[in-house]
Amino acid sequence: MSVLTKQAPGAAASLAAGPPGRRKRGTARRRNQRSGYLFLLPWFLGMLFTIIPFFASLYLAFTDYNLFTEPNFVGLANFQAMTEDPRLWQSLKVTFIYTFVSVPISLAVALLIALVLNRGLQGLAIYRSVYYLPSLLGGSVAIVMLWRYIFGNEGIVNGFLGLFGIAGPAWVTDPNFSLSTLIVLNVWTFGSPMVIFLAGLRQVPTMYYEAASIDGASRWRQFRNITIPLISPIIFFNLIMQLIGSFQTFTQGYVMSGGTGGPADSTLFYNLYLYQKGFTEFEMGYASAMAWLLLMIIAIFTAINFIASKFWVFYDN
Amino acid sequence: MKKTATTGFSRRIFLGAAVTAAGLGLSGCAGGGSPAAGGNVELNFVYWGDSNRAKMTDAAIKVFEEKNPGITVKSEYQDSGPYADKLATRFAGGNPPDVLAMANRSLLEYAQRGTLADLKELPELNLEKIPATVQSRGEVDGKLYGLATGVTTIGMVVNKTITDQAGVTIPDDKTWSWEDYAKFATEVTQKTGGKVYGAGYDVSTETGPILLARQRGEDFYTEDNKLGVSEDTIREWFQYSVDLRNAGGYPPAGFFEQIGGSPAQSYLAKGTVASQIIPINNFRGYNEAVQGDVVLLRMPGETTDKRRGYSADPTMLWSIAAKSKHPKEAAKLLDFLTNDADGAAETLTQRGVPINPDVAESITSKLSADDTTFVNMMAAIQEDDLPPAYVYPKGASVVADTLKQLATEVEFGRITPADAAKTFLEKSNAAINK
Repeated sequence: MSVLTKQAPGAAASLAAGPPGRRKRGTARRRNQRSGYLFLLPWFLGMLFTIIPFFASLYLAFTDYNLFTEPNFVGLANFQAMTEDPRLWQSLKVTFIYTFVSVPISLAVALLIALVLNRGLQGLAIYRSVYYLPSLLGGSVAIVMLWRYIFGNEGIVNGFLGLFGIAGPAWVTDPNFSLSTLIVLNVWTFGSPMVIFLAGLRQVPTMYYEAASIDGASRWRQFRNITIPLISPIIFFNLIMQLIGSFQTFTQGYVMSGGTGGPADSTLFYNLYLYQKGFTEFEMGYASAMAWLLLMIIAIFTAINFIASKFWVFYDN
Repeated sequence: MKKTATTGFSRRIFLGAAVTAAGLGLSGCAGGGSPAAGGNVELNFVYWGDSNRAKMTDAAIKVFEEKNPGITVKSEYQDSGPYADKLATRFAGGNPPDVLAMANRSLLEYAQRGTLADLKELPELNLEKIPATVQSRGEVDGKLYGLATGVTTIGMVVNKTITDQAGVTIPDDKTWSWEDYAKFATEVTQKTGGKVYGAGYDVSTETGPILLARQRGEDFYTEDNKLGVSEDTIREWFQYSVDLRNAGGYPPAGFFEQIGGSPAQSYLAKGTVASQIIPINNFRGYNEAVQGDVVLLRMPGETTDKRRGYSADPTMLWSIAAKSKHPKEAAKLLDFLTNDADGAAETLTQRGVPINPDVAESITSKLSADDTTFVNMMAAIQEDDLPPAYVYPKGASVVADTLKQLATEVEFGRITPADAAKTFLEKSNAAINK
């Protein structure tokens, strides 16, 4: 159990694993450290490419940079313009609906499938891979293209509905349905939280269940009072990761709408609008300001979650 | 043994890392046209289009290189969407191509930010034979930032196999009105039992309302680079398709999933619509996609409204980057693309009718029947007295996006044509006057 709880907050683990307390440095240790840093070298190099644009965009957020001419400092003008930009509000609306509908559903589906798989099916590895596969592909251009065909007017979804005499809507081109098509796509990629849930479920000691069933607890009761509390750190981790990921959605909206966020801005994700502002309207200053707003939004939601987690996440230590 | 293995391993990793780093550094600055040995100049030339266009362009470039020893041309092409993105990034990165294709709606976005060269300042480019009406389409404040690659306009293509089978006569396109077209389209739908929709043009491309505005006596974009179209005209444009849909002549909402694809992917080629509006330099592609039974017609309303809506429009524009390291050679290439008959013999009317009349004349015998149809129609239209047309203003790409968005809202009945027109003017004016 202790292994589980240490790993649960996930990403933090790799950071915490820094050099342990100072001791006499043996040559072996030093060599280990050196190769450790060597293995980290690509990440450090990558950081160079991230850290410079990171601060550059912070500066540009306060300028009127248009890609071609020198940026001029404009103070908070970009942020002020945002409050009066209807498309910005539309893009926030799209992103929030997408996030708050698809994240809970995909987590629920992931947990459900993980529970089923955890009951010790034969060929578990195969099922696990099959369910995990969409996670690897979901954000790819090819799958979104495929999605367009599946939900197209002559696609299999409407073909299937047609068997029952139902004339399906234009899933992709009707602004009333286009976002739901993308939400389904996102839910479909429940594989990566599922694999993490599965790992968590396997760590729950069976003795708890044995004790509970001797006391006459029902299956549901066991799930409610044993499984959920014990894997709550995992749920929390998955929730945070999914939330951050879906706030940053870009590819799905871009490919599905051919870069426009259409039909009628119904799939205008925040990041897609940011991209349009920067690269088709050449308002890079404004786009940079948008990027920082997104960072703040994500930070706020993550903070809220961390505070709320005190009331429902159970750490067994 | 162990030791050597270890050092070997880490050295290999180190080398790998170093090579990777060097590779990243290199890719960061690749793409600049550095002069090769022997005084050779390499020009970077970019355009959008398909492989067919690229094949013809490559052949012309070969002719150029033979005629201009010491200049090599490195050309690149892409689809229009990614092309636009990449172009913006290259300009922003201070590494623009030397000679490039530019969309009408993007020209002033670039030019008014000082990124394009004034073509009149380049003596290597001979503009003597180029009509003033064509030059004006790339001009602002007396400076020429874009030169038409050729001229074209829009027209109506009708699949005659469908109309013949349905027993519907195609009206005379010299005199037909928008009502005639609506009646025709509705009849096709009725007589095919709803299997084929009579009309399937794209409501959301700006060339349609631009023509309608001109017919109604307005300039969509005015001489002083403003929006000149009235709310009433835009409302009318939206209302027309709504009425036509209600009458059955136009497909239901959500029918069109892919607009702007190749002729082979078009709904006309699939046989689900009987007519469509196209840029007429693409006529050949459509006729081939439908096995040669497509007729090319003039747009409706040309003689029944206030004035002629037609104008000879740049298919796209050629520009030279202000930061080009080889403006002289770039101008030579542009001069070749514009004034050289041997080059034009390779590209023909791929980018519209050549703007130098002598060059246009020289290729007529080499054209296929379909391209001849296009060229003849272009010539016939220009025989009449056409009102002047102007360069697209800065903000025109936002106007195009706004039109697309509102067209969808209207299509699904989420907004009335009147409200859409009002919003269109508000948003477009805001973008243009910014």
